[in-house]
Amino acid sequence: MTSVTQPAATPEVISATGGAAAPEVRSRRFLSRAPKEAEAQDRGIISSMDWRRPGVRAAMRPIHVILLIILIIVGIGPLLWLAKSAITPTQDTLREPMALFPNGVDWTALSRAWSDPQVGIGTQFLNTLWVAVGSWGVQLLVATTGGYALAVLRPKYAKIVNGLVLGTLFVPAVVLLVPLYLIVLHPPVIGAPIINTFWAVWLPAGANAFNILLMTRFFNNLPREVFEAAKTDGAGPFRLFWSIVLPMSRPILGVVSVFAIINAWKDYLWPSLVLANPAVQPLSVRLPLIQPQIELDVFLAALAISTLIPIVLFLIFQGAFLRSAGLGGAVKG
Amino acid sequence: MATSTAPPTVRLRPRRTPGTWFRGGGLSNLLFMLPLLFIFGIFSWTPIVQAIVMSVQHTNFLAPPSFVGWANFNQVFHDPEFFVAVKNTGYFAVLALVFGYPIPLVAAVLMSEVKRAKGLYSALAYLPVVIPPVVAVLLWLTFYDASPHGAFNTVLSWVGIPPQPWIQSAATAMPSLVLEATWAAAGGTIIIYLAALTSVAPELYDAAEVDGAGIWKKIWHVTLPQLRGVLLVTLILQIIGTSQVFLEPYLFTKGGPADATITVLLLIYRYAFGSPTGGNYGTATALSILLALFLAVLSFVYFRITKAWSDS
Amino acid sequence: MKSPRRVVIASVAAFATVIGLAACSPGSTTSENGKVTITVASLVPGSSKDAFAAFYARVQAFEKVNKNITLKPVEYQWTGPTFASQLAGGTLPDVFNVPFTDSQSLLQAGQLADITSDVNKLSYASKFNKSLFAVASKSGHIYGVPYGPYAYGLSYNRDLFTKAGLDPNKPPTTWDEVRADAKTISDKLGIAGYMQFTSGNTGGWALTEQTYSRGGRMEVKGSDGKYTVTADNPQTEAALAWLKELRWTDNSVGHNFIKDWSGMNQYFGSGQTAMFPSGSDVLTSLVQTDGVDPANYGLALIPTEGANSGVLSGGNVATVNTKTDAAQKAAAVKWIDFYYIQKLVNKTQSVADAKTLIASKQPVGVPQLPIFDKATLDTSLSWIDQYINVPKANVAPFQDGIFNQNIIAEPPRHTQELYAALDTVVQAVLTDKNADADALLKAVNKKVQALIDADTF
Repeated sequence: MTSVTQPAATPEVISATGGAAAPEVRSRRFLSRAPKEAEAQDRGIISSMDWRRPGVRAAMRPIHVILLIILIIVGIGPLLWLAKSAITPTQDTLREPMALFPNGVDWTALSRAWSDPQVGIGTQFLNTLWVAVGSWGVQLLVATTGGYALAVLRPKYAKIVNGLVLGTLFVPAVVLLVPLYLIVLHPPVIGAPIINTFWAVWLPAGANAFNILLMTRFFNNLPREVFEAAKTDGAGPFRLFWSIVLPMSRPILGVVSVFAIINAWKDYLWPSLVLANPAVQPLSVRLPLIQPQIELDVFLAALAISTLIPIVLFLIFQGAFLRSAGLGGAVKG
Repeated sequence: MATSTAPPTVRLRPRRTPGTWFRGGGLSNLLFMLPLLFIFGIFSWTPIVQAIVMSVQHTNFLAPPSFVGWANFNQVFHDPEFFVAVKNTGYFAVLALVFGYPIPLVAAVLMSEVKRAKGLYSALAYLPVVIPPVVAVLLWLTFYDASPHGAFNTVLSWVGIPPQPWIQSAATAMPSLVLEATWAAAGGTIIIYLAALTSVAPELYDAAEVDGAGIWKKIWHVTLPQLRGVLLVTLILQIIGTSQVFLEPYLFTKGGPADATITVLLLIYRYAFGSPTGGNYGTATALSILLALFLAVLSFVYFRITKAWSDS
Repeated sequence: MKSPRRVVIASVAAFATVIGLAACSPGSTTSENGKVTITVASLVPGSSKDAFAAFYARVQAFEKVNKNITLKPVEYQWTGPTFASQLAGGTLPDVFNVPFTDSQSLLQAGQLADITSDVNKLSYASKFNKSLFAVASKSGHIYGVPYGPYAYGLSYNRDLFTKAGLDPNKPPTTWDEVRADAKTISDKLGIAGYMQFTSGNTGGWALTEQTYSRGGRMEVKGSDGKYTVTADNPQTEAALAWLKELRWTDNSVGHNFIKDWSGMNQYFGSGQTAMFPSGSDVLTSLVQTDGVDPANYGLALIPTEGANSGVLSGGNVATVNTKTDAAQKAAAVKWIDFYYIQKLVNKTQSVADAKTLIASKQPVGVPQLPIFDKATLDTSLSWIDQYINVPKANVAPFQDGIFNQNIIAEPPRHTQELYAALDTVVQAVLTDKNADADALLKAVNKKVQALIDADTF
């Protein structure tokens, strides 16, 4: 469980959007088709004939300009305001929030927000990275090995296990909130409490049935002849996994990775319960805690810093984000 | 319940002994299965069973748990805040539909007709989704300053609108929460619709044009019917998502003012973690199971509808 | 996407590193050679560098004289809504603190360590104010050491008083004067003249204080020893009616109404309100986290009017985690003695503490109530007289009058639940013009009474 607000996605939901129904066809299309190509190939509602009509053109041009302006205000506006306020003295932001530097710029808030020993969020910034990397690692490990065992090795009990895994898709995460908290306090098998360690976020993140579903569907659609041929060549299950199956699964590994990292970066409720110690708190947990204690300019600077990495990642990997949103949004709601 | 669509495997198995099990790959099968069994066993299956057990127990971690039958459920139904929370959650869901359902659709349809710099449009629309939700809420908390010097109130004053109380009044708190939630989520929905729009076969528009259809007719008779599937999916998922809203009411208002924004999930949180002298974990679990049952009914109805639609 | 092999290697490497990281979560140990390590609550998250420097200096001074004890300070803040998960999660430090209101129910539930023998070793053990000590003891056993008792006071910003044309040396002495001054400030300066707690159980806390100040009570003990919740008493209704006037007639209480303890301090610190009622010890925190200058700070008595009126008083109890062993318990009590009590009974420690605070620009001379008796408190203050940096004149309106006031403890049964329920009422009155205060208070009665009736002790 990574997010309590994550709806219980169900297999039918996914096949209804065609998202993962046929990975070979579907995911390749999702993952390789850049928006630009799509634009060139596809036509929209308005035909080229329509475009030639002056009325259509006269209406659509301004509509698109207005749309662009709205999108700029809504999409970048708040971020620009945040960037401005991060370097504006508190009293200016309180009195004239929409004025541009009425009394000059104050850069110290940024450095205080990052490295002040008490309010600084440098540690929590790194913690956020750790939370994301670890959740990603656990999810990938469980999903690949589990998917491989269920879809390729297929021992007799695979059907039962698969049923039990998919069954959890129907249980909303909120049901697990309290009992999972208990488990983190007194984990069976592991023994020592894992509360206030990153494990308390990483391990539950691995129990993501949607990942297993994506993986098994993908593996099921890989050509079995390849596996048989590899077996004839004397490849054992480990070599088959490592040298054949994993290299063939890059597209789906990418999808699972994007989901895992985004979810880990966004999650709040669960980490706020199990990562109470400031030494392990991620940003999402830290920021609301310090909000009432620190000056507004430093706090807004901290918010600005927290936004930086996701924004930069988004600008670099825009295509991957948008493509997984097309697929993932359908699942995550 | 759907299971994997793997074709049945036909294998000839000799009499099973530990030796044949091992040579047949039993051990390596188990090794590969192990991470899944371990993680799901401890962090998914066990807590699910435990949730059911805890809902009929009194547990506060301070005294040993005792069996209390339906008392936890009774307590939920006798809590006046429960009905307030259900009402508020429903209100949030409805408002989220009113704000958040048509806007992305209209935006996506318009954006799909953009010829140049289409990527810029989608990137701008998606930007708010990239901002971590906690940061987004805390930023909007600053915007929602209800004094005349608040950021939003300053903007309103430019066009002559008096300052609004935003999250500081029972009447406007919930719409304010929904406004932020819509801002934060609309980009994702737009991208889904855009993806669905590009998969509408161009031949359908061509055919409609042959029949003399104008732009509006094409939207009504081609686009919307083609988006039917994805529209239903986003509808039901949005309802499922909004039924579990927590972050906005928790960080914006802590359920206030005067319980105007307390939601079901916030109530679960309060039952479990809200009392300084020991949580009431049984009641919290009971309420979460009630919520789960509601969501299950919702999913069931939805599957029936989608099935009926795809059969027709 | 990188090659799967590199991905796996990277994740394995990440795991290996992280096992190390996860292992450094705070823990406490007693090792073979008599060395003891305990975790102790330090300051609230977000306290200033200076405040922490002062705290660490005291930690070092302690470790210097107790060479076998190592202290691990962890930031800590008691808030009603978060304490339960820390308690259940076992993540509380070895030495932590809870308000007077909660120590009884926690010790009844076995959540506080029995430190009777260690406390009795302290030289001044017999001198403790008995009624104060009762909050953390049960049938002769001691489970915590009360410290820092406070009485409610009216904090105000002297600068803003001056700017609004009011005399900062003459703070209001009746609720009507508070209202009038609030209106003057609000009209002249466009900020809130007065602000009221509403959230995180503080709304109920402040409303209870305002009820006491008018002579009302929230819980009444019957002749059979049973408690009855009386939230709908006339004095509470009068307090809410007064608040309603400020909000809806004068509009002098600002525009934002969701404020807990920290949030309120922030509003005061950034000059967005001129007055607010809170504990008399709040100045320490105002300096530590909100940059308030003591020279600009004033503290007045809460107006009291009518029969049975008085001032709400509470405080904190320094408590020890049940997970500690005997050696750690002894170390914990030593630290409680050193950090919380010694400055009141030992001249050298008192001066050392004051000097540390001065060096870190922290306030010395913040108004407090006695844990022993007034004479002991006065003596301890005389030791550090030359170090006091909170202008005495600024807190004189409070300090000079408080010992003539009727000091009233907080409601004894399900206090936090009562406060939480009252939060809602205060919020309703401030955010809804047509709020039916009487009906809301009756609902509070019903809700909290049910909790009291269900108690087994």
